[in-house]
Amino acid sequence: FAGLADVSIAEDIPVEGEITVPVGSHSPDEDYSTLDEPVKDTIMRDLKAVGKKFVHVMYPKKSSALLRDWDLWGPLVLCVSLALMLQGGSADSKEDGGPQFAEVFVIIWFGAVVITLNSKLLGGTISFFQSLCVLGYCVLPLTVAMLVCRLVLLAGSGTVSFIIRLIVVVAMFGWSTLASTAFLADSQPPNRKALVVYPIFLFYFVISWMILTFTPQ
Amino acid sequence: GSPPQGLVDDTEDVSLDFGSEEELALRKAKIRHPLATFFHLFFRVSAIITYLFCDWFSNSFVACFVTILLLLSFDFWSVKNVTGRLLVGLRWWNQIDEDGKSHWVFEARRVPTRAASTEAEARIFWLGLIICPVIWTVFFFSTLFSLKLKWLALVIAGISLQTANLYGYIHCKLGGHKSTSRATSSFFVTADVPKRQERRTSEDHVEIHGKTGTR
Repeated sequence: FAGLADVSIAEDIPVEGEITVPVGSHSPDEDYSTLDEPVKDTIMRDLKAVGKKFVHVMYPKKSSALLRDWDLWGPLVLCVSLALMLQGGSADSKEDGGPQFAEVFVIIWFGAVVITLNSKLLGGTISFFQSLCVLGYCVLPLTVAMLVCRLVLLAGSGTVSFIIRLIVVVAMFGWSTLASTAFLADSQPPNRKALVVYPIFLFYFVISWMILTFTPQ
Repeated sequence: GSPPQGLVDDTEDVSLDFGSEEELALRKAKIRHPLATFFHLFFRVSAIITYLFCDWFSNSFVACFVTILLLLSFDFWSVKNVTGRLLVGLRWWNQIDEDGKSHWVFEARRVPTRAASTEAEARIFWLGLIICPVIWTVFFFSTLFSLKLKWLALVIAGISLQTANLYGYIHCKLGGHKSTSRATSSFFVTADVPKRQERRTSEDHVEIHGKTGTR
């Protein structure tokens, strides 16, 4: 390699090619120069990636953003906000909502892990974290449903409010399931699609059930 | 450029150096990345302290849970993306190529750059990296045996996040040449534009081992 080093120093031989990779990835070279700038750049880039994924969930079509550039920030934020909104239910007026908060958390993450393992055991080609990423991001419609339900419950908790909540939750549940199926089912062989979709259906059904049966104190 | 200065006394440096005053000061400092060092320890230690003294801070379980979880997540992100790179020149990430196969890439900086890290920084990095998962494991057993099970999810999350970073960086450190050459060969197999290119950095010129590179 000593010969190559000489070649690149020499003036008459042009050095061609790109030094940094502009494809939205981290490039250690330009980040080594200063401390403040690149950290902000890294943060902004990650935030934009997360935002892009949220948009892709709301308009589900085949996108490589959700699948290839996976991250778990979105699922974390969604999980925490959903768990926070499910606080203050009538079941636990004595305690400070401790177990129920942790329950929602565990249900979402453990459920997602189980679905992922299931799809991997069925021979899926998608990787572990990609699947977690998709399942987590597709909780977004249900989080929106939870928000709407809480607002509706502020107005009153009669039959009308229940019907509104039911419609909203069912619609969002369908949206979540369709969105995640659109991303996940493709990675399976055709005769196994139903086997993969069923646990996803169950997962979002449980979350929808928690949302629908939420009654504030 | 200006001719390189021979620096016989300072063994930490590469021979190519332009020797401005600023850089001399930088080289002599024991800690060259004070902010990175601070943040490396700040999030981890705050998470542990909050967990230990959560009763003093707030009565609400939820507030403590969310705070500690956020601290752990910020710690994971900053150690993985920033402090490892700056303090010890190691980096690891996951990459999904065109076929949808996922690769774990472990990169180690071979030639120290101008603002290379010092021994003190490296020591702080590794100590912080190793001691905290151990502390969270201790918390795991204490939570289990004192039956405060509502904290168990949080402790497990803490252990997983911190151990993931520990494992990744140890793999980087020990993997060295083998891992990076495996990563390069996987780039050669998928002939499209690679998302990341392996590079060895010396002061001014960068050797690219991409699709047109030669070995």
